[in-house]
Amino acid sequence: MEVKRHTIKLVVNNKPDVLARIAGVFSARGFNIESISANVTMDPNVTKIRIVTMGDTSTVTKIQNQLKKLVDVLSVSHVRESKQGQREMILMQVKLTDKNRNDVMKAIDELQCKIVTRKSDYCILEATGSEEELEILVQRFDSLGIEDLSRSGVVAL
Amino acid sequence: MKKSGAEILLEALSDSGVDTIFGYPGANTLPIHDGLRSGPIRHYLMRHEQAAAHAADGYARATGKVGVCLATSGPGATNLVTGIATAYMDSSPIIALTGQVTTTLLGSDAFQETDIIGITLPITKHSFLVRDVRDMKSTIQEAFKLTTCSRPGPVLVDLPRNVLASSCPAGEERTYQSTPKVSNGIGDKDDQLHKIARALNQAERPVIIIGGGVKLSNACREITDLIEKGRIPFVNTMMGVGSVHAANGYNLGFIGTHGFELSNRVVHQADFILAIGTRFSDRSTSNVDAFAPLATIAQIDIDPTSVGKNIKTDLPLIGDIRKTLKKLIPLVETPDRIEWLSRIKKEQETTEKRNCYKGCGEPGRFIGMVQEAMPEETTAVTDVGLNQIWAVRSWLPKTPRSLLTSGGMGTMGFSVPAAIGAKIGVPEREVVAFSGDGGFFMNIQELATISYYNIPVKIIVFNNSHLGMIRQIQDLFYDSRLSSCELGNHADIVAIAKGFGLQAERVAVEKPEEGIDKMAASKGPFLLEVMVDPENYVYPIIPPGRSNMEMIFGRSD
Repeated sequence: MEVKRHTIKLVVNNKPDVLARIAGVFSARGFNIESISANVTMDPNVTKIRIVTMGDTSTVTKIQNQLKKLVDVLSVSHVRESKQGQREMILMQVKLTDKNRNDVMKAIDELQCKIVTRKSDYCILEATGSEEELEILVQRFDSLGIEDLSRSGVVAL
Repeated sequence: MKKSGAEILLEALSDSGVDTIFGYPGANTLPIHDGLRSGPIRHYLMRHEQAAAHAADGYARATGKVGVCLATSGPGATNLVTGIATAYMDSSPIIALTGQVTTTLLGSDAFQETDIIGITLPITKHSFLVRDVRDMKSTIQEAFKLTTCSRPGPVLVDLPRNVLASSCPAGEERTYQSTPKVSNGIGDKDDQLHKIARALNQAERPVIIIGGGVKLSNACREITDLIEKGRIPFVNTMMGVGSVHAANGYNLGFIGTHGFELSNRVVHQADFILAIGTRFSDRSTSNVDAFAPLATIAQIDIDPTSVGKNIKTDLPLIGDIRKTLKKLIPLVETPDRIEWLSRIKKEQETTEKRNCYKGCGEPGRFIGMVQEAMPEETTAVTDVGLNQIWAVRSWLPKTPRSLLTSGGMGTMGFSVPAAIGAKIGVPEREVVAFSGDGGFFMNIQELATISYYNIPVKIIVFNNSHLGMIRQIQDLFYDSRLSSCELGNHADIVAIAKGFGLQAERVAVEKPEEGIDKMAASKGPFLLEVMVDPENYVYPIIPPGRSNMEMIFGRSD
């Protein structure tokens, strides 16, 4: 069976144990959650969660059905593979030395990153994009010296 | 007027139709027990919380109503876990009430604190922690709604002591905030129903598989009508046994790893299977890849996750079984089916010759004699192991709720406490618990409950001084290397039962008449120990990983 990346979008009641219930459905089938993001919506009682997981389509469908059964899960949908409306944010701390400074600045310019902080020996950069775009970004800066990074997980409409 | 959380709880339970609670007190449930002194609800003090959960489950299975169990926080709550899981696997509607430490202590590892909601997440339909007394009433109402709606299952309500003790002024109770769910979008059911009817009418060799969902949906009359109108042979899963009168001419028996030769053979030959209220568990299908290779499969179930869970379904229909069958019956034709039915008849004659006493040997004959001696309206409750297979094969249920068994979870120790619940739920029916000498000891303390309340259940303990099914599997599939399956005969079960205050007798399975007569005649609780040869196994049996057609009928030596 073909293992693919799947993004699942959930609308859930904003309650303390809801995330544990959702995570349990994934872990019971031995599925890893690659990324997860959750935030409140216009309605304070309701939270939107997006989960990216790797798996075969048939098992992911079964997981979706099980998620639908959870009392506090109001809706479940599979986000289509088209990348519109799926974005992620990254923060990177990149080392600055006399040797790499010019290359870093050139990369910032070319990849349209925002400089959040700039010190003499490092800078913190911010960028948003699709997962693939951010992968390219990470590869480029990795060769220049990433000291730390953090990604938000996918947000999708 | 102000009421305490415990008073509101008991009122809400009473309003929901609860007349019985099976429980065990602890410091954090004392406000409830205080309220139980004067209220209309009877509380049965069990001797272990696990038994309280099984009793609530037995009560639910016997009555069709919601069973309620109550335990304190910490060890009381964790002792319920096996009982809750048992109810979950067989979709039994029970409510587990657990005491909890005061809300300000939550998460502090306080005395007898445990995160019971976290522990039971995968074995409950849903659970609630009541943090505010104003939510007590609406939470209990919601819990009752959830436990019975759609596919039934256990719901746990965790009750901190300060919430039980604090008072709520009249009129300040809050209603449950529920946001409407977005529909699953199942598609056109009527269209699918017509497709299923057409496939059924056109099939040459149709078989119906009845699962536990048929009883849960109260669709036993409808399923019988469908079978008789369409002249369709049927098999049961273990949970489906009893949905249709055992003597119905289209009954082929139960399928699967421990099922009958006839039913497994007929399913294998079928060209169309209509599966109703079953998830095709591994116990029913054995090796799923080799299951019913010639058949188009239609499946009706209320739970979308049960459809296509274990087997690919050609014609799935998600919906209430009873309502669906009512619509299906008028669409079904009445063909003569001479060829298919006479082929089955021939199979039946050969397989019956090969499997006398339903493949159970002396215990099969014995169970038949017990049923004969007991009133027509008797409920059998089984434990797990050889005794379960003997009982499910040999007891012939005439009404839907007259055979109770832990099918999904396979919980040893289930029979005695579940029999207590069944007897209390339906006092006018006789209840016989079948157990082995393994499972019997797992909840033996409940003899004290039986004796204290003088609950007139009959307990049959098959004593083969072994864990019989383990022994059979080791004997057949581990080259007779027996390990950790001998229990011995050092405990005098009859003397133990008498010590608890029960009447008790011991008989040999070959000569049981006197014991059965005494049991049937006794008015009070009665234990009958039945001595069985440890090599009296069940046949056929299917080796692990094999298909339902690869049955074994005896030792190869």
